[in-house]
Order: sequence, then C-alpha cells, then structure tokens
Amino acid sequence: MGTEQTAAASSLQNREEGVVAINAIAQADTFPKLLIHNAQTIAGRPAVRHKDLGIWQAWNWAQVLDEMRAFSIGLGELGLKRGDKFAVIGGNKPRLYWAMCAGQALGAIPVPIYADSVAEEMAYVLEHAEVTIAVVADQEQVDKILSIEDRLSVLSLIIYDEPRGLRDYDHSQLKSFRDVQEIGRHALADPKCLARWEQAISEGTGGDLAVILYTSGTTGRPKGVMLSHDNVMISARNGNLFDHLDQNEEIIAYLPIAWVGDHIFSYAQSFVAGFCVSCPETGETVVEDRREIGATYAFAPPRVYESLLTLTMVRMEDAGAFKRRMFHWFIDFARAWGEKILNKEPVPLAARLVYRLGDILVYGPLKNRYGFSRTRVAYTAGEAIGPEIFRYFRAIGVNLKQLYGQTEASVYITAQPDGEIYADTVGRPSPEVEIKISESGEVLFRSPGVFRGYYKDPEKTAEAMTPDGFVRTGDAGLFDPKTGHLKIIDRAKDVGRLNDGTLFAPKYLENKLKFYPNIKEAVAVGDHRDFVCVMLNIDLTAVGSWAERHNVVYGSYQELANHPLVYDMLEKHVDEVNRSLVAEGLMAGAQIKRFLVLHKELDADDGELTRTMKVRRSFIAERYAPLIRALYDGAQSSEISTEVTFEDGRKGTIAARVQIRDMKVQGTQAVDLGRAA
Amino acid sequence: MRGPHETSTGEILLSVENVSLSFGGLRAINDVSFDIRKGEIRAIIGPNGAGKTSMLNVINGFYHPQQGTITFRGHKRSKMRPYEAAQSGIARTFQNVALFKGMTSLDNIMTGRTNKMRCGFFWQLFRHGPALKEEVEHRRRVEEIIDFLQIQAIRKTPVGRLPYGLQKRVELARALAMEPDLLLLDEPMAGMNLEEKEDMSRFIIDVNNHYGTTIALIEHDMGVVMDLSDRVVVLEYGRKIADGTPDEVKSDQKVIDAYLGVPH
Amino acid sequence: MDLLYKVFVDPFIQMGAAPDLLVQTIWEGLVAGVLYALIALGFVLIFKASGVFNFAQGIMVVFGALTLVGFHEIGVPAFVALALAVAVMFGLAVGVERLMLRPLVNQPDIILFMATFGLTYFLIGLGELVFGGNPKVMIANELYLPKGSLEFKMLGGFVSLQKIDIAAAVIASIMVATLGIFFQKTRIGRALRAVADSHKAALSVGISLEQIWVIVWFAAGIVALATGIMWGAKSEVSFALRFIALKALPVLILGGFTSIPGAIVGGLVIGIGEKIGEFYWGPLFGSGIESWLAYVIALGFLLFRPQGLFGERIIERI
Repeated sequence: MGTEQTAAASSLQNREEGVVAINAIAQADTFPKLLIHNAQTIAGRPAVRHKDLGIWQAWNWAQVLDEMRAFSIGLGELGLKRGDKFAVIGGNKPRLYWAMCAGQALGAIPVPIYADSVAEEMAYVLEHAEVTIAVVADQEQVDKILSIEDRLSVLSLIIYDEPRGLRDYDHSQLKSFRDVQEIGRHALADPKCLARWEQAISEGTGGDLAVILYTSGTTGRPKGVMLSHDNVMISARNGNLFDHLDQNEEIIAYLPIAWVGDHIFSYAQSFVAGFCVSCPETGETVVEDRREIGATYAFAPPRVYESLLTLTMVRMEDAGAFKRRMFHWFIDFARAWGEKILNKEPVPLAARLVYRLGDILVYGPLKNRYGFSRTRVAYTAGEAIGPEIFRYFRAIGVNLKQLYGQTEASVYITAQPDGEIYADTVGRPSPEVEIKISESGEVLFRSPGVFRGYYKDPEKTAEAMTPDGFVRTGDAGLFDPKTGHLKIIDRAKDVGRLNDGTLFAPKYLENKLKFYPNIKEAVAVGDHRDFVCVMLNIDLTAVGSWAERHNVVYGSYQELANHPLVYDMLEKHVDEVNRSLVAEGLMAGAQIKRFLVLHKELDADDGELTRTMKVRRSFIAERYAPLIRALYDGAQSSEISTEVTFEDGRKGTIAARVQIRDMKVQGTQAVDLGRAA
Repeated sequence: MRGPHETSTGEILLSVENVSLSFGGLRAINDVSFDIRKGEIRAIIGPNGAGKTSMLNVINGFYHPQQGTITFRGHKRSKMRPYEAAQSGIARTFQNVALFKGMTSLDNIMTGRTNKMRCGFFWQLFRHGPALKEEVEHRRRVEEIIDFLQIQAIRKTPVGRLPYGLQKRVELARALAMEPDLLLLDEPMAGMNLEEKEDMSRFIIDVNNHYGTTIALIEHDMGVVMDLSDRVVVLEYGRKIADGTPDEVKSDQKVIDAYLGVPH
Repeated sequence: MDLLYKVFVDPFIQMGAAPDLLVQTIWEGLVAGVLYALIALGFVLIFKASGVFNFAQGIMVVFGALTLVGFHEIGVPAFVALALAVAVMFGLAVGVERLMLRPLVNQPDIILFMATFGLTYFLIGLGELVFGGNPKVMIANELYLPKGSLEFKMLGGFVSLQKIDIAAAVIASIMVATLGIFFQKTRIGRALRAVADSHKAALSVGISLEQIWVIVWFAAGIVALATGIMWGAKSEVSFALRFIALKALPVLILGGFTSIPGAIVGGLVIGIGEKIGEFYWGPLFGSGIESWLAYVIALGFLLFRPQGLFGERIIERI
C-alpha cells in the first residue's frame, strides 16, 4: 500500500468514463467485470483482509481493483494473453486471489494448484494444462517448480508473492508480484494502455472459461474440470440467495485455493455478494483469526469440526471438577433442547431460560473459542460427518448444515435449508439443480453449474455426462421419503445387488452400525448373495466399560467378543439398524439376516484396513472365507484361524470358534406405506 | 548445505585470549584462545565436560575467568556483568531453555527489547505519547521476528505450555529481538527430533544470512555442526585441541582420538 | 446444644435483626482489610522479584511514617516532608541492595530471610536513635487527610463511615491499580515479571538484577509509607505498629505469596472475617478473638490450598 499506488489511482481519475462504459455495454458476467462493478458501487467497503505481522491489513474494493489492474496489465506486458493458462499456487493470500482475477481480465485461465502437492504432482498439472506463467506464494513453491523446470517447456515465468529467501536466486525467469505490478503501473502511463485493458475485459463473456480446477480422483491422473464464468457465478449467486448472504458477511479463507469450495466461497461468492474475505496469518492461526474477524459464514470438512470437539473434550478432562460438571450438564441439556431452539420449534419457557443461562456460561464461550460466535451459517461437506459431532455443534447453537457438492457442479448439488436439518441427509436440491437417481442407484444432476468438460479429455467427459446433460456423480443415493432430502449411501461402484435385485450398499450399512460406540468396525457381505450378513468388531474401550458395569468377566478380547451377553447387546443394535432400513424404505430388502463378531480386531498391520483405516473388502473376504461360508450355509458357528502380526513385528496365529447369530427380519409393510405416500 | 563463507577472512568480532577458569580446584577452561569473525557461524565442539558451556558463560559474563581477556568489538575486558554483555550486543540461548514460563511468547520476546527501549518511566505508565509510539515500533520489530521464525500461532500462549521444540524457537526469537552482534547458541538442537532439527538448522542459517548475525554455537550433533559452521573450535578437558574449517577439523588426528575416546 | 445454637444460629439471627450493624461491621472489616492488603502487597513485590521473605516490611511501615513526622517536626512543610520521606525510602532501597542483597547474591533463601531480621533490628535501633521511642501523632491535617465521618441512614439504623477510612480505601485502590498497570504494561514491569520468573534468562536479555531489586524495594517502601500514613492517622505512629505486619502473614497464606490480586482479596477476606468474627462470635470466647482468628482462617486454607487462592501451583522439584 505504498504512495505510488495512490499516485496511480489519481492518474486514473480522468479515465473513469472508460470504466463506466464497460458497465453500460454489458452486464457483469465475468469476474473482472464484477470487480469493476464492485469498485464503483461499493468502493469503500472492505473486500479483503490479511493478517500480517500480527495486524489485519485491509483493502477496499477500489483498492483491490487498483492492485489487480496493475498486476493484470503487468501480466499482459509479460506476454500473458487470451486463452493462456497460468498457475496459481500457494496458501490463502490476497495477492493470489487477485492474480486469478488479473489473468481472467486478459482472458487467460487460472489453474489453481494445491500448495502441498509434491513436485511430481505439480509437474503433471503444469504440463497438462500447458501453463505459461506460475504465480506462487513463496520460496517453497519456487523451489518446487525449479526442481521440475526441465519438464516444463512452455513455462516462461514464475511470479512470487513473498520475497523472503529469494534474494539470491537467478531472476531471469523470476519476478516478484510487486515487480509485475510496477511494470503494469509503468505501462499505465500510456493512456491507450488502460483502454486496451478495458477492451480486453469487455470482450470476455459469461460463456468463457473462468478456471480449470484439477481434481485428484481416487484412481488415475487428476482431471482438469473446466468451469465457465457463468458456471461459477450463477452457482455462487444461487448459493448466496439460498443462505441470504449479503455484503455484510465475514468469512475466513483457509481451505486450499485449488479446491472448488474455496473458489466458490472465498472468491466467487465474495465478488457476487460484495462481502469481505479475510486471509489468516498462517494455517495454524485459523481458529483464532476467525474469532477475531467474527466470521458469519463458515465452511469446513468434518475433520475440522471433529478436531475442535476433541480439543474441547481434552481441555475439559484437564479442567477442575466444578467446571467439568457444569460443562457436561449444560451440554447434555443442549443436546436435549438446543436443536429445537435452533430450528425455532416450540420449546417450554423454562428450557429456553436454562438454555439462555447455558449460553452465558458454556455455549457462548465455546462458540467464541471456535470462532463461531457470529456465525449464521456453517457448512460441512466432503464426507459424512459423525452424527454426534454434527449434533453437538447444532446443540450449542451453531447453525451447522450439510451440503453435497462436486467440482463438476461448481459445488452445489444439494444443501440443507435452515430449519430442515438432519444428521444423515445432505439436504434438498440446491436452486436450479435437477436431480435424478439412476437405475443402479447413482445420483445424477443437471444445473447451471455443470462443468464444460475435462480439459483435453473428451473421453472422460463423455463418460461423466449423459446425453441429456446430466452428470454422473459416482455416488449412490436415495431420497428419504420422510424428509424429501437426498441421502448419500455409498460410492456407486461399491453398491451391489442381492440375488433378488435389491440394492445393497455395504458402506451405508457399515456406517449405520459404526455409529454405535460399541461397534468399532463392520464388514457387510451381500453382493450376488441371497441376503445380507455382517461381521463386526467390538470397540474394546466401550464394550469393556459396558462389561464392567454389567459384571461380565472376560480374560481377553477374544473372550469378550464371543460372550453371549455381548452378542445379545449387538443383536439389539443390528435389530435397530434393520428397523431403520425398513423405515427408510428403499433398502428394506437389504436387512441384516445373520451376523458374527470377529475374534480379532481388523488391523492395518495385517492388511485388513488401509492406512487411513478403510476396510479392504476383497482382502477380508478372502481371509475370512470360512466364516463367510458359514454365514451362508446356515451353520451356528465356525472355526477360524488367522495369522496375525503383533506390534513388535512377530507373527503368530489366532484360532477361535466364532458364533453366528440369526436375526429376525422386520416386516416390510412400512415400506409399502412409505411408497404409497 | 552451505558453501564456503566469504566472510571467513573477515574482521574479528570477538577474541578470547588465554582464558582460564576454575571452580575451586577444578579447571574448567585451561588457557584457551580463539576468535570469532564478523558474519560467520562458529561452532564450539567437544566431548562432555570439555568446557564448552563454561566458555559461553565466560563470553556473556556469567563467569569471570581468573586469567585471560575477552575482546569484543575492540573493547578488552576480563570482568563484565551479564547485563552489560547483553547491552553491548551479545545475546544467547540456553541448553535447557531459560524462558519466562509464566509469560506469553510475545512478552518473552518483548523482554529482548528491554535495552532498546529508552522511554521514561512516567510515559510508560500511561502508555501514552512517546512511550506508546516506542512500544508500537518495538512490537513491529518483534512481529517481524515472529513471522521470520513462524511462531504466529503461539504468540499469545504462555510458554510454559509449549512443547520443547517451540520453546527453543521462542528463546531464539527473544535473543534475536535483542538485535545482537553476536548470538551464542548453547546446543540449539538438543532434545529435538529430526524434523525439528532440520527446521532449527534452517532458521540458524536464515538468521545468519538475513540479519547478518554472527553466531557461535555449541552442538553435540556432529553432522549438524559440519553442515552449519564456517569454522570449528574443538575443546577437550578445557583445552583447545583443534581449530579450523569443518574439513580440517574432521581430519585432525587429535579430534578423532578425542571423539573415539583413545586413552591418554 | 446451647453452644451449637450460640455458634451456628444466634449470630445469624443477630445479623438479620440489625442489618445496619452488619453493614457497619463489614465496612470496618473492609477498611482494615485494605490496609492488610497494602502490607501484604509490600511482601509480595519483594518476594516475587527476589524470592526474599522480607521480615522488615513491618518496620518499614513504622520507619516511613516516623521519617515523615520527624521531618515535619523539625519544621519542614508537610508535603516537602512527604517528598523527603519518599527519598529516604529510595535511599533505603539502594542501601539494602548494595549492602545486603548484592553481597548475599546466590545465598540460600533462609540466609536472606535472616538478613531481613537483621535489617528489622537495625531499623528499630536507627529509628529510636533518631526519632526517640515515644509514639508520635500523624500529621493528617497537614497532609489534608479528611477528618470526621459521614452518616448514612439505612436499613433501619445508621451506618457511619470515617472519612479517613474512605480516603485510605481510595488511596489504596489507586496504588494497587497503579502497581497493576506498572507490572502488566510497562517495560520495567515486564522486566520485573521476567526477573521473578528466571534470573538467568533475565540477565541474558540485559536486565540488571540490581536495578530491579532497587525498584521493588523502593516500591515496597512507598507502599509501606502509605500504609504508615493511613494507619498512623487512624491511631498513632509507634513502634508497636510494626506488629500489624504479622497480620500480613495470614493474608499471604490466603492469597499466595506471588499474587498481587491474591494480596488484595486475601487482605479483604481477613479484614472482614476478623471484624465479623469479633463482633458476632467474639463474646462466646470472651473477646480478643480478633488477634488469632485470621490465623485460624489461614490455617484452614493451608490445608486445602497450600499455594493460596491465586498463587502459582507449587511443584516440588526433585
């Protein structure tokens, strides 16, 4: 924010007519146009904040335009032109967001890349997208690119934001952000320059490509999802309308800029609504920074909420007895009433008053600690959130909602409207989104946000889209008959069928079972079989403490797992799951007929789980073949012996006789009723 | 990690001449002389009990040698109080971390500015006028160091609650806040895991590059020492047995014997 | 049964029956408490910065007050005498640092504690030599300290507040607030906290221990002088006054040796507890309970929270 900038700004005063002209000729259908629009209509309102050296620096919309314009013209002088791709790599820094818009102004397409990508991954994207200029945050990213330089024939320039450590580098292909802005400001001395630049912006249309976002699929190379200005902008606008977001919102930008969520929330929605985006000081200070700016709109994957809750629980363990008791009492109270109050349901006055007291003593301070004191809307998405965690935040008064989205949809597919919140759904179709469920149970959508295809990969694009313009999500789901909300049950490719054709979604069943604290792991079997069976792992901590309370004596994990009382308890859980399946309708045919409790814990060391603790289905099917055979041949128990690796690396064998329990299958009348309704 | 340093022939910042120190009958340092040149990273190594920490304590005035002199920036002295050493531009860290445990990281680092603050007591009391301006200016310098060492997230945390590795970093930050001419680091990587050691090495090199601070360090980890330092002095039983570049020292027979424990 | 009734029921009935008396008692306790808190504050300052339990704090109160009165007696105007008394306290602080603390640096705490005994008797001797052993009258008028009392009609009776008590409370509050700001916000305050935390580290950042010691002893001296003026104005200035320092001990036990808020809260609790105990339960024990009740309260505390209300948790290093 030097003096040269004010000088540049004043020299631009007399050319304002040109800017006005742009608005006259076209609606703001691209982001650069929108920025100019904001710089005129809400010039003095804060647009971006960044905490640097412990102090929040702020730029208003007029200043952002000024910074962006200088950089954009500098990029143009350095050869960036319409249709070129340029990479943006680094954390959530104002200049990186401005760089995206600066390139868009010239008709070039930003390709944000995950800052924590290793050089190898980065090389693929840079090469595939034919990136000519890379705008990066700091030395770390510069080093990474320099290490793969020889593979990047078209990359001609690296621009960095943070100069630290780069002083002694060879600057023939390296420039600082300020250098580029300097070039731009210098060029602006020529009056024709500004006109040319504005001309370039006015040539852009909503149908132009706005951004290419590379998604790392579970398999294969990342795919470059192409989104147009229309895609991004209409989705952002619909999202704003849905949650009534306006220029008074405060958000913190902390998720990877290469992720579509951040592009929508921290870039597009801010431009569209005109609200201020704050960039945290570092990745570690996000919670503190969010508290300081008083975020009103928040977004996080489940693990963030989970870690906040865990932190609180750990702190409470260390707290004094009085504080701990007060905490637990009020949290229990909140679990009973908080959601109802948040959903504006009728609640007795007494409960309301106690809740208010709890807000002063417990909920308020907690929300403050998380930085959620002023948060009106908080989303979780990306994967299933544990219902306990979800309800906890809602109970203390955080309006946490679920959202289901994809890069290919410019985020929004479904979202939960205020007041219609359920832990196990992802909500109703977002505005202007059509959803259908295919024969195989896969969720398909069509919306203004539907992407323009995968960059340089028409084959994959064709695979993902149906002829009538729907996109396959790859997720299997169903509409909950009671709420009308979409439920995501599994990856579509994991969903199978029973022999009678009933839909069988193993992960859906397993997750339902795993929501019981007593059940640590579950493996469901049923594809191409007559009925569904499950193999369970008990949670030693939970079941152990249950055993203590019920005077169940046991000598080992194996003994406890095989205990008839434990089986009785688990039978109840399985029965409840069956009932809930019946209540939900579609999957009533996939009730669990038989189950057993494994004699050992599934273990990553034995190859039964992945290192991220996901069940390796085929491996388990092979390893426990005798048990699965017994499940389907009607035997009441089965011998099994498994090789295991102990913690010290020794190998050994565990042998056991495992009991099998038959379940009563629930009637399906409820289903018919559900269908009729 | 680091090429030969251009300043290794530079001007002498500190020289230790014929220093001897004993506690009662025990000789900790015996007639040791060496010098530290401006801008270099100088390592003092040696087996346990070689007198390394005592040497550092002599340099920053914690101990007063019975014989010999210390010349710092041209001023010769044999007795100097620690706070005088600090005021003349010598900062240090400690082997076992000596922080103000009850204070936040920020306050700890601010204490490093004690001798840079000149404002009258009266103004300070009311945080007004020149005192406020001075406080803000010092805070800015401290924030630059916080940014430099990447400890923003723990700015307001009482240091007693921090893990050891971060405490070491706060201690370094406090020493840097003094804007010293000579920075003494007593085993800056002791008790750290590999990743923390790498971070700390990087910070030490950055401090040396970025601020041009002359650094004298004691370190046990020979790999680290050889990578980091421009010149190494080796002590054994309070005597100097070798002095030179890492390569020279590494191939010195006396050093090899000392480290392999050859009987004398 | 009768005794239980007298201990657990009767006093409360009395409190309820004459609430104006209760208010009066609490007020008197409050005023005494403020002064206890001031003395305790002097202890805490020195203990925090140098780890010395300063037995001489009590005599410093007397010595400060005597100096002030003494200067006035030889014809120095009151406020000049006050300034001179402050200067004498500064001289005392410098003297203590030079002649006592510096030579004894790195000695065990008990040696330093004993040294403060020596200081006590030195000051008694010096005081008697210079000012004589007779009690003196505080120059309250000359310092424009208010006299008389305010009467409030409330709760069906009268509550009377001595103006000097109000002044004492106000001055004490100002001093405490100033010290608080000084400790938290200033460079010297930060240095003080640093020294209290780690001598070694404080030295390494260029803080001079000597300078800090002079400052804390001087601060403790000013606190002592203020205490002496207030207490002197309420009764008289005599060497017996030094024994009120003994009241600081239970306050410190209650509040913790290292906590300024602890000294204040502890002082108020002891002051109020003492007066209420004396007034309502005193007759049961034939009066005089004021002199030992504070210790009983403190003892009770010692059992449950040995580090005091606000003190840092004691971790015994092995």
